[in-house]
Amino acid sequence: AMAGVARRLLCRGLGVAAGPPSTRQLREAEEAAPVFQYAGKAAKRKDRVFVWGFSFSGALGVPSFVRPDAGWKKPRRIQPTPYRLETEEKISSAACGYGFTLLASKTRDITKVWGMGLNKDSQLGFQRSRRDQTKGYEYVLEPSPIPLPLEKPQQTRVLQVSCGRAHSLVLTDSEGVFTMGNNSYGQCGRKVVEDEIYSGSHVIHQLKEFDSRVVQVVCGQDHSLFRTKKGSVYACGWGADGQTGLGHYNITSVPTKLHGDIAGVNIIQVSSCGDCCLAVSDEGDVFGWGNSEYLQLASVTETTQVNVPRHLPFKIGKIKEAACGGTGNVVLTEEGNVFVWGYGILGKGPNLAETAVPEMIPPSLFGWSDFSPDVRVAHVRCGLSQFAALTNRGELFVWGKNLRGCLGTGRMEDQYFPWRVTVPGEVVDVACGVDHMVSMVRSFT
Amino acid sequence: LNAAPGRVPRQRVRFLPAPAPGGGGAVELVAARVPVLADHPLVRGPPFRKLKIGAGHRLDVKASGVFVLGIGHGNKLLTELYNCHLTKVYTVGGLFGKATDDFSDTGNLVEKTTFDHITREKLERILAVIQGTNQKALLLYSNIDMKTQEAYELAVKGLIRPMGKSPPIITAVRCLQFALPEFQLEIHCLHETQQYLRKMVHEIGLELKSSAVCTQVRRIRDGVFTVDDALPRTQWNLQSIQEAIWNCQLKVETELEKTLG
Repeated sequence: AMAGVARRLLCRGLGVAAGPPSTRQLREAEEAAPVFQYAGKAAKRKDRVFVWGFSFSGALGVPSFVRPDAGWKKPRRIQPTPYRLETEEKISSAACGYGFTLLASKTRDITKVWGMGLNKDSQLGFQRSRRDQTKGYEYVLEPSPIPLPLEKPQQTRVLQVSCGRAHSLVLTDSEGVFTMGNNSYGQCGRKVVEDEIYSGSHVIHQLKEFDSRVVQVVCGQDHSLFRTKKGSVYACGWGADGQTGLGHYNITSVPTKLHGDIAGVNIIQVSSCGDCCLAVSDEGDVFGWGNSEYLQLASVTETTQVNVPRHLPFKIGKIKEAACGGTGNVVLTEEGNVFVWGYGILGKGPNLAETAVPEMIPPSLFGWSDFSPDVRVAHVRCGLSQFAALTNRGELFVWGKNLRGCLGTGRMEDQYFPWRVTVPGEVVDVACGVDHMVSMVRSFT
Repeated sequence: LNAAPGRVPRQRVRFLPAPAPGGGGAVELVAARVPVLADHPLVRGPPFRKLKIGAGHRLDVKASGVFVLGIGHGNKLLTELYNCHLTKVYTVGGLFGKATDDFSDTGNLVEKTTFDHITREKLERILAVIQGTNQKALLLYSNIDMKTQEAYELAVKGLIRPMGKSPPIITAVRCLQFALPEFQLEIHCLHETQQYLRKMVHEIGLELKSSAVCTQVRRIRDGVFTVDDALPRTQWNLQSIQEAIWNCQLKVETELEKTLG
């Protein structure tokens, strides 16, 4: 009787006995749960810049790698995997030189170009030192604005930048080409001044006299190439290997038009990194001139220097894009196949060290398979001894000599066949230098 | 099995006494084939009292699909197949908008999120990056020296894969169906567990700034065995099992020879 009274009292107090929740209770609890929203209405894909490679020259633009901000942190000499670089504006064009980098944006603001890295020849313009207002910085550790002497700074847009060994070129849409840096071989397009001191120099030269608007600028090691809208190519700078293509081996200090096999041909792309140059015409032919010590032009001539553009008669299909490296060259055909030739690590295993005739790299190495048959290479780029390929899926493949971690694979060994670089995003463009690389990436969501 | 006609009993030659062709009571030894009494079914008893059955790659309680079993001498083939490290194919179904503690739709709810912003394009981009990172893992864990020419040849053919222990690796992913909030993926993988696949669905949801749970995991291929070779519950009888073993023998042998040499 006592137990019964106690139970009735408890029942009145607690109400329904608590047991394991039934399915209906669970469903109701689920429906009543709050819904979180992580993606805003205006969630757009963000554009980012990733850098990797040798950092002590400041070329990566991250000051904490060279001068750590905390006492216990060690300086990072090499960044072996892609590292995100915060930029103020969306970067549309980047170029890597020998120990320095240029970033450019298509904005109409006053600051359009940023530079970082070595500045011993003023290849980044004059960077006023904060300690001593008369001197400039020799090493720029983070992206610093480069002041350009524009006539209409709030209207002109910078289309493209390019970097050589110690000089840089900036292409604008209406004010021609601006050059800065070392001019000991006339590569800046102005007269060579004897015993000129390039360090801390304010000189930025403007080039406007071409047959039509310049649409692409390319820097070789110590020479510059300009491609105009009409399809002609101009060159200036060092010519001892014939890389200016003007028919002689002297230096040229004024941009001069090239003839030879490209006279009258509409050239749609030019490329150069070391002392050899390649040009692609609108009909899919490729022309080369310059250094041929590494069999780059051995398909047409036995000489080691070619100072006039020569047509390279390759029977590999219509060529869409070409990239010239220090010792090896790569072309991309309309079908999406990649062909390499030259000397060094060409991408077909350690056995292929040199060839004068282009050899195809099998598309299965770029992610093509029966499972995903529409993957193809969209762009090819060249560093001094590295190659990079971008696929239409936004993946980046690199191969070549892994100098100071510039391949970005995370390992320090050379890569003998195309290897995927893990980048958190879709790679839109990549610029290769000697020991570092910069890529423009769009995030996934 | 025991009812089937058993082995023919052994025969032996014995010299038995038989009456001589001549006459009289002389006994001659004549050779005759006589069945050995030790082989008589009543002496030996049923030939099969126990069967050794081994299982192939594990399959969860919540998952379904192809499950490979080996009987008797087939267990040795099972170990050899395991050492071949062949890929398995799963169809994984997922649901956006929920996150649970054990990554499947029967677990305790942790969070609900919006999912209207997800498109098939975004999902495919995430799948591409998953494939990319796993491709690298494939090459890394295969323990081949990247600097050799044979590594290059194998990479071209796509035959590089880890031949030893490794964490789960996904060789290919593809989106089969996409109808918000549900979606279905086809995943080719190595050394995985079903819970790893469910966790992957959850991570895909996180990557797309939402959340996802796994509703279904179904193995449609395990090495050389596909759903077509598999026997459904209704066909679990001796006749079908024997037929199935007979059909698969050739496939298994060729695969073993190709991989293990």
